[in-house]
Amino acid sequence: MDKSAVLQRKDSTGLFSRVHALFSILEKLPQQISEEELEGLFKVLPADSANSMRSLLKPAIQQASMPFLQMLSAALNDTATAKEQGKKVVLAPFNFPPEIIHAFDNLAPITTEVLTTLGVVSLEGQGERYWEYAMGLGLPDHLCSANTIDLGSMLSGIDFEPDAIISGCVGSCDVNSKTHEFVSLLLALPQIALEKPPDNTERGFKFFKNNYLKMIRQLEELAGEGLKLENLRAVAEKVNRCTELYHDLWELKKQVPCPVPGIFSLFVCATRFSMWGRDEGIKTLEACMEVSRQNLESADYGSREERARVLWIYLSYYYDLVKFYDWMEERRISNMGDALQWAFPEPLDLTSRETILDGMIRSAWNNVMTRQMGAASMSQRWIEDIVYIIREWGVNGTIYCGHHSCKQTWSVFSITRNEVLKRTGVPTLGLQGDSWIRSMTPMSVIQEEVEQFVNNVINKSGRRRRPKIKDTV
Amino acid sequence: MEILKNITTTIENDYVKAARASGQKIIGYVCLSTPREVFDAAGIFPYRIKALGRGDTSMADAYLSRFNCGFCRACLQLGLEGSYNFLDGIIETNGCDHLRGMFENWQHAVPRPFFHYIRVPHLIDQDSLQWFKEEIELLISALNQHFASGIDDQKLQGAIEMQDRVSLLMKQIYESRWEGEIKLYGHEIMALIVAEGSMPAADYLQLLDSFNEEIKNRKALDVRARIFMGGAATDEISLVNELEKLGGLMVADSFCFGGRVFLREAAAAEPVKRLAETYLNNLLCPRMFMSYSNRKDYIFNLINRSKADGAVLFHNKFCDLHGIENVKLKMDLEKEGLPVMLLEKEYGAGADIGRIKTRVQAFLEQLKR
Repeated sequence: MDKSAVLQRKDSTGLFSRVHALFSILEKLPQQISEEELEGLFKVLPADSANSMRSLLKPAIQQASMPFLQMLSAALNDTATAKEQGKKVVLAPFNFPPEIIHAFDNLAPITTEVLTTLGVVSLEGQGERYWEYAMGLGLPDHLCSANTIDLGSMLSGIDFEPDAIISGCVGSCDVNSKTHEFVSLLLALPQIALEKPPDNTERGFKFFKNNYLKMIRQLEELAGEGLKLENLRAVAEKVNRCTELYHDLWELKKQVPCPVPGIFSLFVCATRFSMWGRDEGIKTLEACMEVSRQNLESADYGSREERARVLWIYLSYYYDLVKFYDWMEERRISNMGDALQWAFPEPLDLTSRETILDGMIRSAWNNVMTRQMGAASMSQRWIEDIVYIIREWGVNGTIYCGHHSCKQTWSVFSITRNEVLKRTGVPTLGLQGDSWIRSMTPMSVIQEEVEQFVNNVINKSGRRRRPKIKDTV
Repeated sequence: MEILKNITTTIENDYVKAARASGQKIIGYVCLSTPREVFDAAGIFPYRIKALGRGDTSMADAYLSRFNCGFCRACLQLGLEGSYNFLDGIIETNGCDHLRGMFENWQHAVPRPFFHYIRVPHLIDQDSLQWFKEEIELLISALNQHFASGIDDQKLQGAIEMQDRVSLLMKQIYESRWEGEIKLYGHEIMALIVAEGSMPAADYLQLLDSFNEEIKNRKALDVRARIFMGGAATDEISLVNELEKLGGLMVADSFCFGGRVFLREAAAAEPVKRLAETYLNNLLCPRMFMSYSNRKDYIFNLINRSKADGAVLFHNKFCDLHGIENVKLKMDLEKEGLPVMLLEKEYGAGADIGRIKTRVQAFLEQLKR
């Protein structure tokens, strides 16, 4: 494929263009790279990119990270070549399951938060310039960097523009849905709003289902084609394979020590958000399973020390993979991942168009954030999920990263922390910071707080007792 | 007016005290999407929860966080302090993420005997209207069950007609600033609107009548500039007053404690359907999606009719809905040649008033006024 002609770039300095250019190189890497070759690669990459690749390509997980990088590259290529192939690009937020878009011949999905994360992980200067551009428009600094970085690049007029935007957070996140609306208004892009009512009953689901079916009709109009059963079934079969692998990985996480590397939670959610129901997604998850299984079967597995099993109850930090995932691993803290992987997918019933769609709609209804923050009670559903996962995986400490833009989770964090402690005895550490902007809270501060939490709260034996002060008077 | 002062500076005002003394039930709500006629029809006193510009959030911050809107934190603070102990129940609405959190924490920390959630759709279409109609029916059913209210169509119709009369008179007073001499300040209008959610409808109608009579005998005000104000969920009468002292008179607004309270356009005759249309179709709040053009047109119309010289758009720190929408509005209004100032502020932060006044003064200079 001739990459030079594929993307109608207005400039090469937009986030998408830069990420796509970098991944065009990365996809050419061989399946196995020696440590020596890696050192060479890190020397030619810009410092910020090299730092992330140091974590992503380390030999212990390389078997999974290569298919992962290739999967992301395929997603980027789909977007980049869409216009050339007569396809329309649909931009959607992370909580919108992309499989329905994959079922259209003439549509290609791309996910805002995946693009932002790729920019932050792989570009020199991370996403800072795009964030600053958005701030320059007068937008408030309390917006979500996960949306604003990528959308800021689009707004700058130097990046690609999608053909339509799905606002999938109406009812579960104000800032996300409002930011997407802002971009659709400014760029005069069609917007499709998928609303979830805060009602967990069948009445609520019926309303959501109706909204989802209306959205399909809008997508059909955009694509200029009807949703074909054979496409739907083909995607659904692959969705089911992804679901199966998702649950296999879930089961492996119950092992002590945890054989699933912490960074795989990032791989799983990126797959869920972009390539669920695609061969590339299946390959990534299969590779994650393979590496985890090898870890479980390795000779030293039983003797590995596990100081803590920590669950990130909402987001993690994504701007320094080395100092986040690798550091925890080195400290023998099992990172059980974050809420972005709590998709709770169920196998789709392939009997008919109706059964497949019903399953996909339930999957969207239960997808991350929609399920918790779009519930009748944000705290109750969130607490139930956390408690369930704590028990499933034997978690002994939870951490709330405190991404400052998550107003909904912040508003019920106090209830959640107390209730989780009451129901499970598991303590929660509350942090503050921005998950995608490194200048907000340095990783060294986060490391220090996590270390103290593990030492002094989770591992109570390590707690220093305050010496009694004798009366000296 | 003395009555107005009492109502707009006291949470448990004289009407609340009288209702409690007579055994009348009082239900608290916050969001404009709550159909107060349902409570009027039930003989229940609907009280709009507010904070009246009080900035203390020390207790509320232990429940909500410093990353949540100051207005919601201030309301919760009053709830935690016991200022709202007179409420027999609370109505939750999904107005915004902060508000949802406020209600969850309120009910968690200081639960009221009656708690009901009205799930307000974010879109305006036939399906959403049907959903919202059912929500109002669920509310009626819950009130009938808990309070034995006996709400029926006739009572609802009576309450609707009362609110129609209130709105008509309020509209007359509100728009009196738009033609000829201006005889009342914008902060007085805001006080009147705050009073609307603090007293029974019949008493409020009398208050409006008296107020309307009183302003006829007033002298014209000396106005330096005519300002449109909009944005934030705020009931800060004193803030508007302080800004008006600088010479910029608020001639129209889009606050939710402002002129939007009296939007009543609806076509249906059947009472519940009519309420659904009234409260959903006229909900010109940035929490609604796919309807930015409605809000923009509404604001453009207000600015044109009130002959505003400029616009000040507020948002409370951490309010994403207004914070983002204000930027788009600014772009659109400036395209039409209207000077606009965006003002981010903390709710009820008296310490910040100096900065705010300096910015507004500079804006008035920019208007060459």
